[in-house]
Amino acid sequence: MKRASRHYSALSLLRARLSGAGFWRPLWTGNRLEQAYDVVVVGAGGHGLATAYHLAKDHGIKRVAVLEKRLVGYGNVGRNTTIVRSNYLLPENHYFYEDALRRYEGLGRELNYNIMYSPRGVVDLALSDDDFPVLARRGNALRLAGIDAELMDRAALEKFVPALAPRRRRRFPIVGALVQHRGGTVRHDAVAWGYARAASALGVDIIEDCEVTGLHTTGNSATAVQTSQGEVQAGAVVFATAGHTGLVGKMLGVPLPIETHLLQAMVTEPVKPLLDTVLVYVAPGHAESYISQSDRGGMVLGGHIDGFPSYTREGAWHRLEDVVRATVEVLPQLGQLRLLRHWAGTNDMTMDGSPIIDRVKYDNVFLNAGWCYGGFKAIPASGAACASFVAKGTPPDLIRAYCLSRFATGHLLDEPGYGPYPVKL
Amino acid sequence: MACPFCGLRPLEEFLFRKTVPNVGAGSGVHLGAGAGVDAGDSASAYAQVYLRVDSAEHSVEEWQHVAGCRAWLLIDRNPSTGVVRSVALLGGAQ
Ligand SMILES: Cc1cc2nc3c(=O)[nH]c(=O)nc-3n(C[C@H](O)[C@H](O)[C@H](O)COP(=O)(O)OP(=O)(O)OC[C@H]3O[C@@H](n4cnc5c(N)ncnc54)[C@H](O)[C@@H]3O)c2cc1C
Ligand SMILES: [Zn+2]
Repeated sequence: MKRASRHYSALSLLRARLSGAGFWRPLWTGNRLEQAYDVVVVGAGGHGLATAYHLAKDHGIKRVAVLEKRLVGYGNVGRNTTIVRSNYLLPENHYFYEDALRRYEGLGRELNYNIMYSPRGVVDLALSDDDFPVLARRGNALRLAGIDAELMDRAALEKFVPALAPRRRRRFPIVGALVQHRGGTVRHDAVAWGYARAASALGVDIIEDCEVTGLHTTGNSATAVQTSQGEVQAGAVVFATAGHTGLVGKMLGVPLPIETHLLQAMVTEPVKPLLDTVLVYVAPGHAESYISQSDRGGMVLGGHIDGFPSYTREGAWHRLEDVVRATVEVLPQLGQLRLLRHWAGTNDMTMDGSPIIDRVKYDNVFLNAGWCYGGFKAIPASGAACASFVAKGTPPDLIRAYCLSRFATGHLLDEPGYGPYPVKL
Repeated sequence: MACPFCGLRPLEEFLFRKTVPNVGAGSGVHLGAGAGVDAGDSASAYAQVYLRVDSAEHSVEEWQHVAGCRAWLLIDRNPSTGVVRSVALLGGAQ
């Protein structure tokens, strides 16, 4: 039996405090796998859960299931470094990510769940004279699109991020930065739990420990999915399996422009408040890295992908070293800290670095994939747009550019300009 | 990682380039709902330039021993364990 989680408000939380544990109910519960659904969503990561939520909420599709082989939040949605921003250079990307960021701004209220959106700013540092005009160009593209971007020189940056001490003599001087003030961080688990709770309240079944292993089809349509808990009929199927998209390609019999690479992250022991923004930078000789400080005080460090296919979730040691070295290059005062935890997630890397949301091979099979290492910030926009595509049969304008055919027609969205590789060669 | 010329060397000396699809060019290729125009030539270019293998068990990959002898290698690995099954010289590459 379903007992929906209660509505949260200042008053109800006060009442909860007084009435003890009786107030609290599971965020989602009582879901049993039915034999048939209008839509089966595969993967309870951010994109799967948000898609299911919007299918139920915006399109009134009531019989929706999210099938998850492990646990809600076990995948990348619970492994990322929680950074949200919309400061992409290419219009197709910045309009899409801006839609996501705007939705993030109101998501706590929409889901009635505190996602801890913290618009602390995302600061892209220029560590060489060459970097600065590249950032300026990106900032101009953003401002033309009505998206906030501020170019800061060294003096302004010194005020905004005192910890950087940009005037300090160093090997790679800090020249300036591009800042998106509305960017920042969002508690990643809360996004997964908030969507799961809200979807569940709308009648979506969230089934954990249920792996999808095959697809049944007749003619041009899928009819059912095979799962570890039996066969389930499906009016439509949405694959949102992030770092397991290769398996989906195999199920569909469609090779894809995707490889699975690991991305690592790590967190130091907690220290007093030092950094109230997010730093992103490429230190010469290192791959791109980023730093933020969690509410608990730990410095959260991330870098670029390991750069070769892996499903181990372990992470290559030399990539960890690279992130740590780049970190102390920019914030040498962190050199004394110890790393507390370290982890990795499997990322579905496309060959232009941008996502794919498309209908593939069958009339009613949708692929929501290729989020690479940047798909957390995309979740609210992706869920709404993907649900609309599934419900109406045509993609909304916001995601038309994310079609699979762009790789064949040459309309690539190669944000970093690497060519058809997930890392710079 | 074992280079046929240099022996066992640290992983960071090697650069991965791409997985090599084991499908014949064009087979099973699907371009999604937006496709329609000019699937012929562009589909085979698509297969050659952009398609990859994404397998948890078995992938054949092009690597270069960049910080060593700079030979291009064809490496057969298991991406779930990291175990290398075989390393061969990549024929015909630069
Ligand atoms: C270390 C790290 C740091 C990152 N940092 C950021 C960041 O700062 N900002 C940002 O925007 N993005 C970031 N990302 C990327 C972001 O986390 C991902 O792009 C995004 O979470 C992927 O979408 P998802 O949440 O739907 O994926 P996931 O949470 O991985 O969901 C996919 C789910 O599908 C399930 N699944 C797979 N196969 C099957 C099957 N056959 N049957 C049933 N279920 C299946 C999996 O178990 C998983 O739960 C980071 C990623 C990593 C690993
Ligand atoms: Zn060698």
